[in-house]
Amino acid sequence: MNLRLIAALFLAFGLLLTVAPTTGYAQVQTSTDQVVLTHSRLQHIIDRHWADSTATGAGKFQAGITVDSLRDMINEAVRNGRARHNTHGRPGTIYEYDFQRQIGTTIDGGPASRLRVVVNNRNEVITAFPF
Amino acid sequence: MHLDYRLNEDRETDWSSVTEEDLRYRVALGNLVFHVGDKDFSADWGWIPLIDLAASFAEIVRKLEGGSASETFEFTESDAWVRFEKKGEKVLVSTSYGEGVGQIALHSVSAAVKSFRERLRSELDRKHPQAAHNPAVRKLLGVA
Repeated sequence: MNLRLIAALFLAFGLLLTVAPTTGYAQVQTSTDQVVLTHSRLQHIIDRHWADSTATGAGKFQAGITVDSLRDMINEAVRNGRARHNTHGRPGTIYEYDFQRQIGTTIDGGPASRLRVVVNNRNEVITAFPF
Repeated sequence: MHLDYRLNEDRETDWSSVTEEDLRYRVALGNLVFHVGDKDFSADWGWIPLIDLAASFAEIVRKLEGGSASETFEFTESDAWVRFEKKGEKVLVSTSYGEGVGQIALHSVSAAVKSFRERLRSELDRKHPQAAHNPAVRKLLGVA
């Protein structure tokens, strides 16, 4: 019985090694649903786009939006939003998603319901802001 | 056409190691001074990545000269934009944040963008000598 168990484990391990390279693409595809928001990029978003930020000419998130809800919104935008290549040689991809509710304000103070997320080729968020 | 900039003071950046992504989004920030005829399209937001703007405007000029009818520059931290539309030998310039439409010859846009890049490169080299040796800086400011 023990020998059968060991043989089964070897077989399963062998199959895993065989399948892993073919599932790599699927894993990469799936991982685009979950982007990485590093501490420094989060701080950048807070500095420039948080409700109490004094930066001018930049969209602002609504007061009450937390870091956790920001992460959720970013992932939803990447998962369900419209994707396009970044412009004029800038690296990465732009995702835009309309939440159909106010999430912040535009640069002229009007209500903003859309989120733009810029993601680099390593799947890391570069910036995110409402518009 | 008057195309100029105001570069923020920066004593924190390690210019020997900045990447293209840094230059596109986080480094060499400042204001845009931009007049087309009597139209003022300046943006004094203080966070505009100027090397990115210089590189993007140069790419836009290249595309317009190559036959593109219209090109739009998008700012990095808002949905604000600057649009260049070719009408014969002229270019119509409009923005999402300023009123009116400016008109200028394509060769004047090209000359203004070239001058902008050269002045920015010169100021960066003077203030941050390591920038001159950074490949990403050289690539985006046209000396690669």
